[in-house]
Amino acid sequence: MTRGLVFNIQRYSIHDGTGIRTIVFLKGCPLKCPWCSNPESQGPVRPSVWMKDGAEEPLGKWMSVDEVLHEVEKDEIFYRTSNGGVTLSGGEVLMQADFAAELLKEVKALGISTAIETTGALPLKQIRKVLPYTDQVLFDLKIMDPDKARQIIGEKISTIKQNFEEALNSPAHVIPRIPLIPGYTTPPENLRQIRDYVTGLGIKEIHILPFHQYGSGKYEYLKRSYRLKDTPLLKQEEVNTVKAFFESAQIKTVVSGLE
Amino acid sequence: MAEMYAVSNNNFMNIRKKSLLDDMKTFLFQNERRISLERAILFTKSHKQTEGEPQIIRRAKATAYILDHVKISIRPGELLVGNRTVRPRSGILSPEMDPYWIMKEMDTIHDRPQDAFYFTEADKRVYREQLLPYWSGRSMKDFINGKIPKNAQKAVDDLVIKLNQTDKGQGHIIMDFQAILNHGVGYYIDLLSRKSAAQPENNFFISAKVIFEAMARHFLRYRKEALQKAKSTEITEARKVELLEMADMCKRLSSQKPQSFYEALQLLWMTSIVGQYESNASSLSLGRMDQYLYPFYKKSVEEGVPGAFIREVLGDFYVKTNDVVLLRSRESAKCFAGFPTGYTVALGGLDQYGQSSVNELSYLMLDLYHSIRLPQPNLSVRINELIPRRFLNKTCETIRLGTGIPQIFNDEVIIPGFLSKGVSLDDARDYAVVGCVETTIPGKTYGLHDIALFNFLRIMEISLYELRDRDDLTFDQLVAYLLKRIDGYVKDVTIGSDIVDLAHREFAPIPFLSALVEDCIDNGKDITEGGARYNFSGVQGIGEANLADSLFVIKKLVFEQHEMKFSELVDALEADFEGKYKNLQNHVIHDFDKYGNDNPEIDMIAAKIFRHYALELGKYRNIRGGEFNAGAYTVSAHIPLGEDVGATPDGRKAHDQLADGGLSPMVGRDRLGPTAVLKSVSKIDNVLCVNGSLLNLKFQPSTLQGSSGIHKFADFLMAFTKLKIRHVQFNVQSRDTLFDAQKHPENYAGLIVRVAGYSAFFVDLNKKIQDDIIARCEHVL
Ligand code: SF4
Repeated sequence: MTRGLVFNIQRYSIHDGTGIRTIVFLKGCPLKCPWCSNPESQGPVRPSVWMKDGAEEPLGKWMSVDEVLHEVEKDEIFYRTSNGGVTLSGGEVLMQADFAAELLKEVKALGISTAIETTGALPLKQIRKVLPYTDQVLFDLKIMDPDKARQIIGEKISTIKQNFEEALNSPAHVIPRIPLIPGYTTPPENLRQIRDYVTGLGIKEIHILPFHQYGSGKYEYLKRSYRLKDTPLLKQEEVNTVKAFFESAQIKTVVSGLE
Repeated sequence: MAEMYAVSNNNFMNIRKKSLLDDMKTFLFQNERRISLERAILFTKSHKQTEGEPQIIRRAKATAYILDHVKISIRPGELLVGNRTVRPRSGILSPEMDPYWIMKEMDTIHDRPQDAFYFTEADKRVYREQLLPYWSGRSMKDFINGKIPKNAQKAVDDLVIKLNQTDKGQGHIIMDFQAILNHGVGYYIDLLSRKSAAQPENNFFISAKVIFEAMARHFLRYRKEALQKAKSTEITEARKVELLEMADMCKRLSSQKPQSFYEALQLLWMTSIVGQYESNASSLSLGRMDQYLYPFYKKSVEEGVPGAFIREVLGDFYVKTNDVVLLRSRESAKCFAGFPTGYTVALGGLDQYGQSSVNELSYLMLDLYHSIRLPQPNLSVRINELIPRRFLNKTCETIRLGTGIPQIFNDEVIIPGFLSKGVSLDDARDYAVVGCVETTIPGKTYGLHDIALFNFLRIMEISLYELRDRDDLTFDQLVAYLLKRIDGYVKDVTIGSDIVDLAHREFAPIPFLSALVEDCIDNGKDITEGGARYNFSGVQGIGEANLADSLFVIKKLVFEQHEMKFSELVDALEADFEGKYKNLQNHVIHDFDKYGNDNPEIDMIAAKIFRHYALELGKYRNIRGGEFNAGAYTVSAHIPLGEDVGATPDGRKAHDQLADGGLSPMVGRDRLGPTAVLKSVSKIDNVLCVNGSLLNLKFQPSTLQGSSGIHKFADFLMAFTKLKIRHVQFNVQSRDTLFDAQKHPENYAGLIVRVAGYSAFFVDLNKKIQDDIIARCEHVL
């Protein structure tokens, strides 16, 4: 039986796909985004620990598809009234593509909406496993310049683009999501590259996610330094400017997943 | 001279060029709150003249005397007449009910932490020298104190039960407004005259008639006042036109039934005010205003009454509901902080055909709230599977304002609850909200909805100490013991409630209100005599969440994991988790799951105990032949009731508050967000909370942003509907806002928050309750 390494299951999520959703966070990510708000998920698919309030706490739990189903079913009534469902996130979901595919298949068979949040940084065969069972793909686009992308987050833009286009050619509804990280993703040149790329592919809607500091405490638990510790939050006007920038190209732009 | 203006014209509806609602609001809040002795003095004067007559007649005459002599005024801009006191927001004492409590608090009431009132030295003297001596020994309180049997008194002394309504009139009743609006005052005078002629010995008919006649005269006094005002040279021509119309209307309404929306609102308000003079009660609630006013609304709209005028009159009504504040004792003000006066309104809901009854007036009433934003009227929306999405969205947008209004009631569980208590289908579908979160059948019920509080957690504490040496105990034995203790106290609480019930019958019949409660006129009996169609008594079980959490900890810690002996745990509680037990507190808080996280093992503990309690209580009949119904709400009593309980196994320190609301999880112990909370709450069979229940949820304002925020919120409420949870209310304020309001109250005079079943000005609440509200904000996303 396939098992997945799950590090969190979060109920009542309303910012990550249609309706009211439960997010299942899968552990493991090949990238190293400096702003990552789930740093505990970075690295290989392997349980680890952190120190919280002076006590060691395990990170990641191997769960069967049935066990996860049992958890996500708890909010079924909310999915039914809101056309919501289950979103797989991470880490990078595609690191555990077999497990993800099996889970998504089961959820979808119940008539519950499925979504994944991915950065598309793995070979195509991974995303191909999950796409048939995925209603929505929330696809992160971050830094478009190949060199910077490699240096800063360790991703290969050509792979990202291949994955993105693969998703677009599937029946799934693809929404690009752009984390607005001051100094990293917000420079105008980067935003322009993202816009050019998505308009070229006929994208009509994107989500922008303003930078937040929710993950900062986790770096302390992990005894790691957090480079964005002093980065200020974006002002409302700055967010609006970005929004206007995309909308000027006829792309509907949703802030934080709520219209 | 005045008759020249008797021919009414429609001019007055267009004459106001700019809304005066803001001015009316300001007028209401510009002065400090004072105690007014006026009603007490008039009441007493009358009583001295009626020595020897039957009590019901004496009370009726006293009410009539007040209506004839109380000072009246028409305030600037008002279109509706009727003010309980000339000075806005005055607190009224009822020494005939309990003359004593104020003596203890006389010199502190102006700066007590909750709901302070200014009491002038002159008035204090009058109270001490005239009112107190007269009422000492002959008040309702004296009667109750003399009658409470030993075992019920012991339950009070054990801090398990608290009896309410021992110092004021019996409220929590909705009059049959539809009937008086359809018939008018004159009809009742005629009807009662005929009844009285046929049964001259019936004191109820005589008494009710006395007050209805006084009500007619009271209208005429306002007519005179309006005419007088109209003569003043200081008013504008436009105001003069309005005042003359008001004078005319008062004349018409002194006998005839209303013909327009305006007149209907006027009669409605006056009926409510007369009820207030009669009993000075808490919560003479308004019921389904959007239903019984709709025919009048429709007629007026069809006749071309301008929308702006309709809004202005309805707005005036909204503002006026904030004029009546309740003066409570210090203890009582802690439980009901921030003046929940209970002008509660239920909007929408199913009609007698089982269809949604939402109409244009329902929309207007929510919409108007957006511009008025005061704590009263306390609007509620009745939700069901058939609610129009547009109305649900409007409801959500109103909640998003952050004032906690409206609260939500679920037809899908409340109607079956009433059916299970023998209420007819038509009546059950017609339920409305009374007080804060209690439900009642309007115009047909004397429900003593707020008669007593029942502290589950205190019973558990007593049980644990009684069993402390029993290390041979099993968990099941412990639970069985606890249930037996609950049964004993249930019996006591019914006895205590019956005494208060009886006291109101002996001392405080309310014939005017009774005439507006169905079956009283047919039965020829006051409601306190059992004249109403439905005769419940409601007892609130409090501390469910802490109880379930505590039993779960005991079960795991002592009986399954054998980490400590039962007696040792009781030692730790006695030590209040101090000294060597410090770590234990941490351990029980963090390492054991709690109610509110959708964990069936714990939730079912709460469910079983509540079910047992509700069924046991339901075995008893009150002195009017009605059933005792269980409730699960605390209003703000979770703080004072917490003060009565020592440390508990869930990690709660001695005297800390209990879980808020009634069905809410303990503050800070729910980790999984609002869907998990709803799932936990849904496991308690809400159908059993016939008397009322309360659930608080907090949302960050950001989760409701935009149209998709509203949509997801509406979807969330539809899931709530399907989960058959009875009630929910929301505080949508960020913690930052509330912290800032605590620091700079001067900047937040108008900030309204949800307390418990009602909303209040944040700055009117004492620090403890403010802190509680802020804490409740933390954990939901
Ligand atoms: S892709 Fe996501 S999980 Fe991986 S490092 Fe970047 S932000 Fe963190």
